[in-house]
Amino acid sequence: MTAPIIQIQDLGLAFDGFTALDGVSLDVMAGQCIVVCGPSGSGKSTLLRCVNGLERFQRGDVVVDGTSVRDCRDLPRLRRGIGMVFQHFELYPHMTVLENVTLAPIKAKGLSKAEAERVALHYLDQVGIADQAGKHPGRLSGGQQQRAAIARALALEPKVMLFDEPTSALDPEMISEVLRVMLDLARSGMTMLVVTHEMGFAREVADRIVFMDRGSIVETAGTAQFFSASQTERAREFLHKVLAKI
Amino acid sequence: MDWHVIQANLPLLLRGLGTSLQLAAVAVLLSFPLGCLLAIGRLSRRAWLSLTCGGFVNLMRSNPLVLVLFWFYFLVPIITGRAVSDLGSIVIAFVIFFSVYFAEIVRSGIQSVGSRQVQAGLSTGLTYPQTMRHIVMPQAIRAMLPALTTQCIVVFQGTTVAYIVGYDELLHTASMAAERTGRPVELYVAVAVMYFLVCTAGSLLARNLERKS
Ligand SMILES: Nc1ncnc2c1ncn2[C@@H]1O[C@H](COP(=O)(O)OP(=O)(O)OP(=O)(O)O)[C@@H](O)[C@H]1O
Ligand SMILES: [Mg+2]
Repeated sequence: MTAPIIQIQDLGLAFDGFTALDGVSLDVMAGQCIVVCGPSGSGKSTLLRCVNGLERFQRGDVVVDGTSVRDCRDLPRLRRGIGMVFQHFELYPHMTVLENVTLAPIKAKGLSKAEAERVALHYLDQVGIADQAGKHPGRLSGGQQQRAAIARALALEPKVMLFDEPTSALDPEMISEVLRVMLDLARSGMTMLVVTHEMGFAREVADRIVFMDRGSIVETAGTAQFFSASQTERAREFLHKVLAKI
Repeated sequence: MDWHVIQANLPLLLRGLGTSLQLAAVAVLLSFPLGCLLAIGRLSRRAWLSLTCGGFVNLMRSNPLVLVLFWFYFLVPIITGRAVSDLGSIVIAFVIFFSVYFAEIVRSGIQSVGSRQVQAGLSTGLTYPQTMRHIVMPQAIRAMLPALTTQCIVVFQGTTVAYIVGYDELLHTASMAAERTGRPVELYVAVAVMYFLVCTAGSLLARNLERKS
């Protein structure tokens, strides 16, 4: 058996005294899509930020494709292999969509401008907004902006993609166009760690669902099992609330 | 009132104005980058760097420009035993003095961009300096354009302080002419008009730039 591409090992993190992560362990195999859910403040975003070294943890380690994040001497290089998509898109407002997508391939990866633009247009096409490449992000709809942000992450051709509530800042009618892109990505074999409360998405493509509460994983289950018979009271309660909203 | 005296001294005054503008330009071009570095240092996660830059900014802000100029003009040569040229000490004093004001403007500009944009840049594998240069600073500069313009005008007005060490900027030129001709009122009115025109032109230019960005 091959080693998991992401190994989260007994991860612990405190923000001056407040424990945000308390012994989180999780393995993600290449090609898997893992959905992380849980109430606000349970540490989901913090967990994702530990995976690409944006947050420093005090205990345990994350190993991504054989590289220990704790001991990593070259974080920019590690991060190039890990795409990240944010709740509020975080496109650069002063650049066009194309410039947003080509910036890191040029500056971090050393591609020529022409080569970077070729790659960028390929991924903008994949997410269905190649025709918006010359516009500034502010002129795009929310759904288009988030798809541009996904293209920006994909343009580095990462091995792993992290999504932090990618649809929760979107108007309802734009959620599905973003989920569509994510579904295709998961089906094409991308390894994905997705924080979301879109249980329809989870049901469709997640290999496993992880439920977090107060900095710990309190339940992890296969998708079918999670929906049919959540083990813990907290997860059942949460699932009830989330499903009731849809 | 004898307005001919202005006409007669106009080439002289214009030369003084040119000197003032040059001095202001040099001061801005050197103190702005230094201010950027101070601001970035002050926002650094490294405590020693942040404290050093913060301390320097606060120390300088509590001193009047005249005093800083005195330091470099009179005291540094005494301490080091080496003469500094007039222009050299004026420029050094101006750059050090004004860089802290630019630092404060830049700092609030950087803070207005916010850490989420920084995280986005870092997440794509850009280094921290690359993230600052390509993502944060362009947005920050846009946000601080009005404050930067005002500061440039303040620097230009500040060049009058070079008067006290007898440097031939506009005010000094005018005062010499006033003494020589015995017509201070006319000459100082002319100088006031010149300052007014330059500062107004500066504000208009800034408003234009703001609208474009
Ligand atoms: N930089 C920080 N400094 C101090 N506390 C923080 C910081 N970042 C997060 N926290 C705290 O850590 C806890 C976990 O935060 P996190 O953002 O990971 O939660 P989350 O599960 O993503 O919640 P949400 O659903 O609201 O996004 C929260 O209580 C939060 O207040
Ligand atoms: Mg979160």
